Amino acid sequence: MTRSWSRTSRVIAGTATALAVLTACGGSGDDTANKPSGPVTITFWGWAKGSKDVVDAFNASHTDIQVKFEEIPSGTAGGYAKISNAVKAGNAPDLVSIEYSSLPEFVSSGALQDIGGEFTEADRAKLLPQTVELTTLGGKSWAVPFDAAPQAFFYRKDLFAKYKVQVPTTWDEFRKAAEQVKKADAKARIGTFFPDDPTTFEAMAWQAGAQWFKAENDTWKIDTTDAATTKVTDYWQGLLDAGLVHKNASFSPEWTGSLKNGTTIGYLGASWGAGVLKGTLPEQNGKWAVAPMPSWDGKPASGMLGGTSFAVTKDSKQKAAAVTFAEWMSTTEDGVKARIASGTSSAFPAAAALRPVAKKAFDARYYGGQDIYALFEAAGASISPNWAWGPTTGTTNTTIKDNFGKITQGGPGIADAVKAGHDATVAELTKRGLKVEG
Amino acid sequence: MKARTRAATILLTPFFLLFTAVMVVPIGYAVWLSLFTEKQSGLGFGGTETVFTGLDNYTAALGDRAFREGFGVLLGYCLLYIPLLLAGALGLALLLDSALARARRFFQLALFLPHAVPGIIAALIWVYLYTPQLSPVVQAMEAGGIGFDFFSPEGALPSVVNIALWEWLGYNMVIFYAALQAIDRSVLEAATVDGAGAWRIAFSVKIPLVKASLAMVGLFTIIGSLQLFTEPLILNKGTGSAVTSTWTPNMYAYTAAFDRNDYGLAAAASVLLALTAALLSFAVTRLTGRRKAGTARKPAPARKPVTARKERTA
Repeated sequence: MTRSWSRTSRVIAGTATALAVLTACGGSGDDTANKPSGPVTITFWGWAKGSKDVVDAFNASHTDIQVKFEEIPSGTAGGYAKISNAVKAGNAPDLVSIEYSSLPEFVSSGALQDIGGEFTEADRAKLLPQTVELTTLGGKSWAVPFDAAPQAFFYRKDLFAKYKVQVPTTWDEFRKAAEQVKKADAKARIGTFFPDDPTTFEAMAWQAGAQWFKAENDTWKIDTTDAATTKVTDYWQGLLDAGLVHKNASFSPEWTGSLKNGTTIGYLGASWGAGVLKGTLPEQNGKWAVAPMPSWDGKPASGMLGGTSFAVTKDSKQKAAAVTFAEWMSTTEDGVKARIASGTSSAFPAAAALRPVAKKAFDARYYGGQDIYALFEAAGASISPNWAWGPTTGTTNTTIKDNFGKITQGGPGIADAVKAGHDATVAELTKRGLKVEG
Repeated sequence: MKARTRAATILLTPFFLLFTAVMVVPIGYAVWLSLFTEKQSGLGFGGTETVFTGLDNYTAALGDRAFREGFGVLLGYCLLYIPLLLAGALGLALLLDSALARARRFFQLALFLPHAVPGIIAALIWVYLYTPQLSPVVQAMEAGGIGFDFFSPEGALPSVVNIALWEWLGYNMVIFYAALQAIDRSVLEAATVDGAGAWRIAFSVKIPLVKASLAMVGLFTIIGSLQLFTEPLILNKGTGSAVTSTWTPNMYAYTAAFDRNDYGLAAAASVLLALTAALLSFAVTRLTGRRKAGTARKPAPARKPVTARKERTA
């Protein structure tokens, strides 16, 4: 793209320079550890809605620990790259936000430290077991779960009524509803397939009972050709082929534009989506409602889409303080209240005792006063406990995303993308010297 | 002699210091990194162990279809982009060269302006213009009966080429225009007297005389293309387009480091890309060097009196 000499010579250094400089400029981590008195200062990186408010509330109520919050881009949008670089460079913050899907990758690259000593059995018992499961890897505890993110179906109740469409409870009904929506308005669709976001698709496979990553006797079993995954793949391919859903990038201007003008009237998301919709489309106040995710047999079932945990980086000398703050965010009334009251977060706390607090703090007028937390509660309980994430989610998800982008009418489809993700995962695990089957 | 050595040392030291700090050391570090890999055991949750692997990362990169395909994409990009760029920039320069003086200045500025926009901003603007439900361009095209999906597998390459053209056409046009302006007006007058029309002058006189600039721009563009990164990365992130995360070799290295945490592989891919660039740069230097020597010979007699006069006054 360039041709001047100075730039040409820069090619020679190219990315190599970038990598080298980034990794070479590491500092010595925390020097606050050496100070004998005064409050302990820890640094926290995150992007979840309301984080700033939580940190402010914590600092106001604590004198022994002070938190410095730095907002980073969301994980896959560059946040994870930033974290792993900082860890590699030795100047990482003490506490970082990591989604459940990426936690094993960070653990396996040695970026985090075991917090089992500070985050005890008793603390863990307060939290949704599925989230504890996802943060316990190789018998050690690696992160404090913050929210569970059960799936949910958001829809425009005014338009559903106008088009005389019933809210679907099964995937069969969902397809019928999709057909009705398209019939009622040729431009409108019931939902969206996100080609840039494999995690939404994975949550659907999770919901159907798939188990892509299984750890057995020190061996990773990768299985994406099971009946559940095949069912989900065929179903979504069918929706795409029949043109029953839009195909837009998630949270892209295109997607929000279509929500704004009413050509997308539903959103298959997760609990935190309630806050996102409210923040993105304030003018549609009162027009939205939430329903449980459609399921295959009509019984409640859910995967988990996203969901954040807090982990302590390997060089942090303030493990105890960092865990204290993380637990405050996850398991205390004040912590949860501060986040939800910011108005932008609809997080569903992993701590069961705090859900009434969250419910009270969340202004549900946007959803016509609907008790959305009761709905999340039921959905959270129905999260399948069988799913685990492997240590190569970066590779798996990037590959699937790349191949989702290639999906065309009559060309490669979702099944090809899943296959490519499978093969890349197996190759990556093998390259790292791990035993793999699949 | 001694004073001259001292002056040379003083003048060259900053260059070599910077050269060492920002070129030699990082390259050395990248080469060093590329010889190691991180191995794990069990399920992979017991931490990592850095192992010397020799050239394994290089064979892994070369053995990866995605990496090789990246070079294929670059080749396709050059084949589509360079002819369009050269023809477009030269055509515009010829038009300007024969236009009215006032229009000239306006168009020169107008055509050059996109180049002042940083690549990342240009890519963001174009992503907007490519997005079906938002873009007035796509809507106009559809209204005119041309449906084209810029994010489809077929659309990926043209989409990126289009952004590059938008950024670089004006810049190269200025180079060609300057070369055209340097043509001795008497040659053009002679051609007119001989009865040549505007077309004939353009093709038989002007273009042959700016051939050297054409070759230079072409070769530099090929080398610059190796760095293709920003624009496709923007298309890759957040559009769901067919531009993959390993679309160009540069992107491959980026993804290896930041998505896959494989710094050894990223370093190896970067070193391979750097080697390719070095080879190409060497070839370009040789080729343009020869060309410059060739063109310098011809006008030499005309220059002689000038230098002679200068020497006399000095």
